[in-house]
Amino acid sequence: MHGDQLTRRLFLQGSGSVAGSSLMRAALPGVMALAGPACTARDNDASFSVLTDDDAIEFAAIADRILPTTDTPGAREAGVIHFIDQAFAGLMQDLYAQSVSDLATFQAGVGEAFPGKTRFSELNDAQQDRYLEAQDASSFFQLLHRMTIYGFFGMQSYGGNRDQVGWQLLGFEPRHAWQAPFGHYDDPALQGEPGGD
Amino acid sequence: MATDDQTSFDNDEAVDFAIVGSGSAGGIVAKELSTAGFKVVVLEQGPFRRAQDFSHDEIAVSRYRELLGGTQEAHGQTFRGDDSERAVRATWPVAEYAQTVGGSSVHFTANFWRLREIDFRERSVLGPVSGTNFTDWPISYEELEPYYSRVDWEIGVSGAPGPFDSFRSRPFPVPPMPVKSSGVLLETGAQKIGLHPQPAPLAILSKPLNGRAPCVNCGYCMGYGCEVGAKSSTLAAMIPLAQASGNCEIRADCAVFKVDTGPDNRVHGVHYYDPAGRERLQKASAVILCANGAETTRLLLMSANNAYPDGLANSSGFVGRNLMFNGHSMAHGVFEHPLNEFKGVQVTRIVHDFYESDPARGFYGGGGIDARPLDAMGPISFAMSGHRPDTKDWGAEYKEMLAHDFTRRLTVLGSTTSLAMDSNNITLDPVSTDRWGRPAIRLTYRDHPDDLSMARFLQDRAMEILDAAGAEIAWRDPVHAQNGGAHLLGTCRMGDDPATSVVDKYHRSHDIPNLFICDGSSMVTSGRGQPTMTIMAMAFRAAEHIAAAAHKNAI
Repeated sequence: MHGDQLTRRLFLQGSGSVAGSSLMRAALPGVMALAGPACTARDNDASFSVLTDDDAIEFAAIADRILPTTDTPGAREAGVIHFIDQAFAGLMQDLYAQSVSDLATFQAGVGEAFPGKTRFSELNDAQQDRYLEAQDASSFFQLLHRMTIYGFFGMQSYGGNRDQVGWQLLGFEPRHAWQAPFGHYDDPALQGEPGGD
Repeated sequence: MATDDQTSFDNDEAVDFAIVGSGSAGGIVAKELSTAGFKVVVLEQGPFRRAQDFSHDEIAVSRYRELLGGTQEAHGQTFRGDDSERAVRATWPVAEYAQTVGGSSVHFTANFWRLREIDFRERSVLGPVSGTNFTDWPISYEELEPYYSRVDWEIGVSGAPGPFDSFRSRPFPVPPMPVKSSGVLLETGAQKIGLHPQPAPLAILSKPLNGRAPCVNCGYCMGYGCEVGAKSSTLAAMIPLAQASGNCEIRADCAVFKVDTGPDNRVHGVHYYDPAGRERLQKASAVILCANGAETTRLLLMSANNAYPDGLANSSGFVGRNLMFNGHSMAHGVFEHPLNEFKGVQVTRIVHDFYESDPARGFYGGGGIDARPLDAMGPISFAMSGHRPDTKDWGAEYKEMLAHDFTRRLTVLGSTTSLAMDSNNITLDPVSTDRWGRPAIRLTYRDHPDDLSMARFLQDRAMEILDAAGAEIAWRDPVHAQNGGAHLLGTCRMGDDPATSVVDKYHRSHDIPNLFICDGSSMVTSGRGQPTMTIMAMAFRAAEHIAAAAHKNAI
């Protein structure tokens, strides 16, 4: 399992910071084509609007467990942390101060649950999941859950859903017009095939 | 948010009619009266959005409720189950309606069921239901039918006659929308258990009509404004005609807070906050409230005076009472192959076999069934509330479930009756206020046991349909007392008796001769869940009678 250094390095690779930007571009060339101010800021190696790097690592680590990277991209690849930063700077700015305070409380609990650890991002995946399971009804987790969903599945102009990885995961296409047939069961060409009655 | 060039009127120049609200009723009444030559000012508390102002932005529209005027902080609405409870500020809009020119006809799903003959005389046929204000309408289906047909043709309704429909004097102007996989599966499942599915009538154009373009199947009907004007809102179908008459000013971002009254038992205009927040008075010879069952009620209660201490036009005490939400029950299924329900309109097939109340069931009620994506129309709404009940809502399994189910899930939804009761009502909250400082709308509501029984009955049928259609997994949302609604019906009901109703059969208030009310509040019974068609038909009819009275100088 990855430790502190690895987690931090992986996150910074995707964060648009000076250290990570070139690697990120190499891994995700499509990001250059995306619209929206957050993407522009990221490509210009701009730092976060409101998040400190330390807090960003922790918020990103939580988002990574809500929608983890598996054989498909997760919150990390979608750039959910950039949605979170952009939201705390604008749409959800009224929640920012409380969230930073809640994060401090959240972090204080890490040491109690896992002696010797001080940050959520230091825990391995299984430890992180166990820690989150104990408090997934809390308003802090619910907010991060909501923000992760928004950042993963929302429009890219909000800073996340990079390369539309959220929409691709679902099979959703953001087109403005469709024609029948829409799906398997209304497609006359598929009638008579298994399950297509 | 462009406002077209339009006529404008001075506040002090008494127009013929001040209309409060530009939605399903207000948009029609404004068009009818202005094209008949009357001077009309429409006060709309929301902005003047046009088709080009609408988007597919789930965060702004669905989560931050852009079309509803913002989140709970903006409206301050409160809710309680009964009057022994303290009403609490809701975290979601418990009285849900759009604040935008065109009102909720802009963001609605566009299911467009007519009432039937039985709806208007159900109390006479079935007998009383104790503890309720269940009663007949003062008008019949026959009286309303010509106006239903006007809605079909002038507003624009697609569909085809069904086996249980009441008579219609004209055919549908355009055919049904193309059937989706949800419609095919509903049809398959329903037929297997002996039911009679039919194409869904929708206020969405399948072909060009009246110079308007047809639907492009973008998928963003429910809760969103139509970007091509194919959804038959009053914004698309009526407001342009009203403005073109040269007799109508749509005054957006103007929130009415009081109806102006005089010692002569007449109204003289409306007090409102203009877009800059200044108090203004628009003078008018008559006032028509079309603000929806919640806002119309609030305005009457806020306009109490010495003559009407319990609310304007409320000598009966019926203003705000008999609130009906309609019942809604949901069953969900996941199928083997992709349905791709995010494409196209919400509903293409319905089942009306259980429309009529049947004493053999042991309770009052009726309803209709449809199949639709519901949450599976959009990625965020699905991720927030579309997941299976036995799945944790985060982690790798959750993500896998979302990826599998999004294109494969449908919801079979039952829409059912609500009984009118004194205890379900709208009042002014004593503490909470909205963003203009007006007392917030307080809802007190608990479904009648028969309403819940009917909702469960249709849900049982929905589960049978899903099973017969071959769902790999199906589950139901528990049916329990509702804590909010988008159908705001019955709160200023029409009737012949001034002691038990607020307006007469022509929508004129019993108490004040030049005050009219026409919106969902006029409905006497709830219908089976898709009230907008009836609200619009009532609006055409009301406008005709109001215009006739005005021509005879009888207002």
